[in-house]
Amino acid sequence: MPAKYGVPSDPDYNERLAEFEARIKRGEKIEPGDWMPEEYRRQLIRMISQHAHSEVVGMLPEGAWITRAPSLKRKMILVAKVQDEAGHGQYLYHAAETLGIRREAMIEALLTGQAKYSSVFNYPTLTWADVGVIGWLVDGAAIKNQTMLAQCSYGPYSRAMVRICAEETFHHKQGKEMVLLYAKGTPKQRRMAQDAINRWWWPALMMMGPHDKDSPNTEVLVRWGIKTKTNDQVRQEFINEHVPEILEAGLTLPDPHLRYDPSTGNWLHGPINWEEFWQVVKGNGPMNKERLEARRRAHAEGAWVREALEAYAAKKRRTAVAV
Amino acid sequence: MDTQWPRWEVFKQDTPSKPHQAVGSVHAADPEHALLTARNVFARRPQAVSMWVARADDIHSWTREELLEGFPKVRADASLAPGRYLVFRKTSHKRSMTFVDFVGEVEARSPEEALVQAQATFGDLEALVWWIVPAEKVYRSDPSQETLESWFAPAKDKTYKQQQYYATVGSHVSKHRGGRGVEDEE
Repeated sequence: MPAKYGVPSDPDYNERLAEFEARIKRGEKIEPGDWMPEEYRRQLIRMISQHAHSEVVGMLPEGAWITRAPSLKRKMILVAKVQDEAGHGQYLYHAAETLGIRREAMIEALLTGQAKYSSVFNYPTLTWADVGVIGWLVDGAAIKNQTMLAQCSYGPYSRAMVRICAEETFHHKQGKEMVLLYAKGTPKQRRMAQDAINRWWWPALMMMGPHDKDSPNTEVLVRWGIKTKTNDQVRQEFINEHVPEILEAGLTLPDPHLRYDPSTGNWLHGPINWEEFWQVVKGNGPMNKERLEARRRAHAEGAWVREALEAYAAKKRRTAVAV
Repeated sequence: MDTQWPRWEVFKQDTPSKPHQAVGSVHAADPEHALLTARNVFARRPQAVSMWVARADDIHSWTREELLEGFPKVRADASLAPGRYLVFRKTSHKRSMTFVDFVGEVEARSPEEALVQAQATFGDLEALVWWIVPAEKVYRSDPSQETLESWFAPAKDKTYKQQQYYATVGSHVSKHRGGRGVEDEE
């Protein structure tokens, strides 16, 4: 079945583009096999593969704490959460593959450092409280974005997001519960929770990406229903939900400019350090090198498993032929 | 270096009364490997009683848009041996975590003839997507009680994967003083 990815030089491009945009306007999902602009496909591959890589790399900061969890219960929760992230990476690679890119090519791009993933995972996890704050704030920010993307016009991406959101909610709740417990715990627990919030608040706000005015892709992404909200809208939703809860827990936020605006009902944040954001995106964050090395090591150390499975399948094929 | 294994589409059945539904894909070297991987990727939550896999290359798929552009040429020569085909279909644009649902089987001499039969049998010319898969190309999880339990029961016990497990759900901390979980933290 020939893939139908249209380019502006096609004689019927404008006509097909009009039909395509009308379909999206009617709320229809675009499915593999349907006509779509090559640019729609390119933007989706870019977003979905980055998203998949983020799930995979996202296992590392928290995975480091599995052996040091303070109780069996917390250990089981964390194992389940990290296992979920691995599964979410798989859902997303699958969604990207429906656009004609190979999983192997995407993983190669990650391991060689060409591919991007969420900058937030290039920060270190210094204490156990970080596990709680990552669940509450980092997963909280991710869920805001994913809930928006669950409305996406591309069927496979939308379905992956619906499944991820359903599972991810527990990540957010367990983190929130843990931080709230620490907030009313011993002075040391409160200090740990506050310190973790101080370190993760700004990276969490950066997760939604640059401001709308600096986000050149936004217009076309919204028009084609890939995104249904802009970066700043999603960021504002996240802030409005989390600020009152953090303050009510007796914790503070590391933003002296943060204030409530009664006219809009929004919590307004101070300036975000985009210089830091771009440095981390470019590979100069505190943990970029280590994250990539951990991924490469895991891939290399898993080689024997892949070889063994291949050999087993080949043996069974030979046996089947012999019979 | 090309080491990529074939892609397999995965169909999961949530309860015995529901149809198998396409949930996504895995890469695997053979059907047994595909089923095991499918279980690990798609049955981390309790809703699963059976799984099927089929190689993506063995699945014949048509979207509504494709069928409107031109119906596939139907091969139904007497020389072709008739075979059974599994039919899957998508009928709604509503937000969902599953794709096509299993609707039944037809007998035909080619996938294209199976599509014609499917449209007639299941009375649906408006389906958004059809998947037609030769029955012998679909591999099924072992239905024995032993496998059922070892594959799908563990997820049922892990209640901490459900958001309802956490006392703080959906409202401010002020309403949940003395929530659960304190015992192991202090």
